[in-house]
Amino acid sequence: MRFKKGTVNDEIPTASMADIAFLLIIYFMVTTTFAATRGIDFSLPQEEDSPLVDKEESVLIEIQPGGGLLVDNKSMQLDQILDYLKPKLERNPMKPVIIRSHEMAEYGYMVGVFDELRQAPDKIGIEIKNVSIPTQREIDMFWY
Amino acid sequence: MADIAFLLIIFFMVTINFEVDKTQVFLPKTDIRLEIPKKAAYISITEAGQIRVSGGEEISVAVHQEDVLSFAADVVARDPSKAFVLKADSNVPYRYVDGVIDSLKQAKAQVIYLLSEQETVDSAAAEG
Repeated sequence: MRFKKGTVNDEIPTASMADIAFLLIIYFMVTTTFAATRGIDFSLPQEEDSPLVDKEESVLIEIQPGGGLLVDNKSMQLDQILDYLKPKLERNPMKPVIIRSHEMAEYGYMVGVFDELRQAPDKIGIEIKNVSIPTQREIDMFWY
Repeated sequence: MADIAFLLIIFFMVTINFEVDKTQVFLPKTDIRLEIPKKAAYISITEAGQIRVSGGEEISVAVHQEDVLSFAADVVARDPSKAFVLKADSNVPYRYVDGVIDSLKQAKAQVIYLLSEQETVDSAAAEG
């Protein structure tokens, strides 16, 4: 009686490898989200280096609901702020600039003002070193 | 073909960036945009004022405004130099943001990154 000899294939079957690979690619392409990972930095004052800002010595930028700006109680456009600040900063580079938003003002306007102040070195050639964004609690405690 | 496919897989695996916070917000636009440190803690605020927080490793969870301080204090206690990312909707009333910034100040956080999108000529013109 003769038995048929079985032939053993000594190769790993790779025919489906490309299919698996493309399935994985599709999975990664679908699940990958391009996250926004950039922003504007804002250093918070630490206790040791947070001198009390004198309201009279500083420039106060008030942001109203709807985006209206009052700089030292004068109505101003966003692109006029740096021109207004330039002579003051030339006299005193440490001049404090306070950004105060109305509680109903949209957050985007505050970021817009802060972004404009951060661009001072490029636009007017002077860095604004002392930008303060007091919170309502601080205003209630220290505003005078 | 399989080689190319695997190269693409490796590319996706290396570049994939797992977002800890998937809150959909309309970010403010800025010209200055700095790279945010990896593993930064996230605080997101939607237009309706809903707040979600993440320590940077886990998926964000919804919290009440008054719980942000304890969250921030816990993060700072573990790593005093930890950066916080504020991912707030451009149209959210400022009082929500004010509360979060105040909590971060009280928790002695050192730096906040205000998450933003790139200001473009089109967007600047649209804002007038």
